[in-house]
Amino acid sequence: MDAIGITMGDPSGIGPEIICKALRDLPAEDRRASIVIGDPKVMARAAEVTGTGLSFTTGTPTDADTVRISEVFVGEGAKDGEISAASGQAAYDCVVRAVELAQAGDIAVIVTAPLNKAAMHEAGHHFDGHTGLLAHLTGSPSSFMLLASEKLSTVHVSTHVALADAIERTKKARVLETIRAGNAHLKRLGLARPRIAVAGLNPHCGEGGIFGRQDIDEIAPAVEAARAEGIDAKGPISADTVFYRASQGEFDLVVAQYHDQGHIPVKLIAFDTTVNVSLGLPIQRTSVDHGTAFDIAWTGKADHTNMMSAIAYARQMAVAPPLTAVSAA
Amino acid sequence: MSASEPEDWRSRSPLAVTMGEPAGIGTEVTLKAWRNRESGTPAFFLIDDPDRVRRCADRLGWDIPVAAIEGPTDATVRFDNALPVLSHSVPVHPEPGHPSTENGRAVIGAIERAVELVRDGAASAVVTNPIHKRVLYEAGFTHPGHTEFLAALAGTGEPPVMMLACPELRVIPVTVHLPFRAVANALSTETIIACGRIADRDLRLNFGIERPRLAVAGLNPHAGEEGAIGREEIDIIAPAVAQLKAEGIAASGPYPADSLFHPAARADADVVLCMYHDQALIPLKTLDFWGGVNVTLGLPFIRTSPDHGTGFAIAGTGKANEASFVASLAMAADMAAHRHAVLGDG
Repeated sequence: MDAIGITMGDPSGIGPEIICKALRDLPAEDRRASIVIGDPKVMARAAEVTGTGLSFTTGTPTDADTVRISEVFVGEGAKDGEISAASGQAAYDCVVRAVELAQAGDIAVIVTAPLNKAAMHEAGHHFDGHTGLLAHLTGSPSSFMLLASEKLSTVHVSTHVALADAIERTKKARVLETIRAGNAHLKRLGLARPRIAVAGLNPHCGEGGIFGRQDIDEIAPAVEAARAEGIDAKGPISADTVFYRASQGEFDLVVAQYHDQGHIPVKLIAFDTTVNVSLGLPIQRTSVDHGTAFDIAWTGKADHTNMMSAIAYARQMAVAPPLTAVSAA
Repeated sequence: MSASEPEDWRSRSPLAVTMGEPAGIGTEVTLKAWRNRESGTPAFFLIDDPDRVRRCADRLGWDIPVAAIEGPTDATVRFDNALPVLSHSVPVHPEPGHPSTENGRAVIGAIERAVELVRDGAASAVVTNPIHKRVLYEAGFTHPGHTEFLAALAGTGEPPVMMLACPELRVIPVTVHLPFRAVANALSTETIIACGRIADRDLRLNFGIERPRLAVAGLNPHAGEEGAIGREEIDIIAPAVAQLKAEGIAASGPYPADSLFHPAARADADVVLCMYHDQALIPLKTLDFWGGVNVTLGLPFIRTSPDHGTGFAIAGTGKANEASFVASLAMAADMAAHRHAVLGDG
């Protein structure tokens, strides 16, 4: 079983279109190993709008232009490019179904198209986007956001919290867990001994404590503990130099202390191809790194480059050894 | 980045380069910059002890002629054939990497002379080599750094603004060397407005940008998502943007910081106002690790400097990368040309 399941996302957004365009561009064998989780009518319309000539079936596809679908239906009231409870509910239902399929072993990796948080809230589901929803559905206490691109990848100690709270989350235990999660992930993808850099929190890592002590008191001990476990971790390294060094090939992964520290450099280098990967969940998931783009939804204009990257990364994860087979170090 | 064409720098005064800490890499990057000069390299002179500079070149095995000059006007004449050095007494000729406190006064004096020359119009801009603050403090220096000292010499009422620039990006950190935890408290609407005004004025005056576009970054992830994850955008940053706009400045934001630095976003802004050190330095150094230039805005003259330190660990080996210093010269000359076109000075 190495199929990937692609959720439709919010049907009022660009999700259905970028899925069709990406499926069209995939090699036939990868298309065969993909299952769309969504509304067949919506997907058929997206195939038409994008001129991709695909059709969808709940059975076994008999030709190369037909793709498997796990049906989730959109209720009354969804409108193109607008927030609605119907679309929010459908996006939510797709994620629920995807998790069921992953837990049943029918798919190896979930690829999510963008959902709209406000629409999901209107439907009565109060989650902080995909991340919070997936943690809830899988009963996971915490997860780690990895941004992957060809030249630079970062995994985050904290993500969607106010900066003041993010600073308080820079604690030895959490930094160490983040290093371990990143290390285990890259080992699964085939790196024998991932080279991991850990970014400092304060300017110039605090210059010996003058500009803050977390680099000395929290980050350095976490790096030391990781090294004691056999992980090739280095740091803390000044945040203004570490991403350049990693992008030049010195490190395989940078542990970023907060959301923008990791997002700024990756999106600078690889704006269209950055893949968002959730680590630390009992299921595997990649995602596009953009939103629903309601302003261009259903015009056929949406660019599917990022969806292609998310699917390609998911394919690598799908054929990697199972999650349980790799120890932390 | 829209900009009008500056006139040829060669018609004007040379650039004044300060010696910086003589035990650091300043001397060797200056020597390298002269050795690798091209037809477009602006004429500059170093304020230093010519004998000391000669000895540095000898020690590195570099055959670089050094011309002792009496005044800046000689620099333009001599520049093609030798590195012009304006004689300035340096009491101790230190070993590379080993600064002497006895030189503190001379290091400060070189900065003072450069400022005098640029204010007289004898030099078109000041380019400073890195200093080592501890040595200066022992010589009675009381300023937090170069920038504040220059502001004091200039007698400006307003605090200067640090801008970092490379060909594709300009950034201004609104707060600089603070513990990260102190950033949110240090941010104020007034500080952002003050930075924005100075950036707008100096980008017009010194960079020839008709209507500078200022993109203002948020502090929190996703610029706080309308207050859901942090309120600084609503309480502090947005009011500053509104005030700048009301003054006719092309400011916009606050934007999610991770959306401001990809190529299309860079093309839409002439400068990004960043809320903290690493928000500005991460994109700049990821984009152009070696060639970043530190520009001081808000002074009545032009000052640039390389964005590196004294490099004691590699001083005297000749390994120091001169790209940032060379870019500092080029940017200072460009800025002087734009400023001259507007004000007719320098």
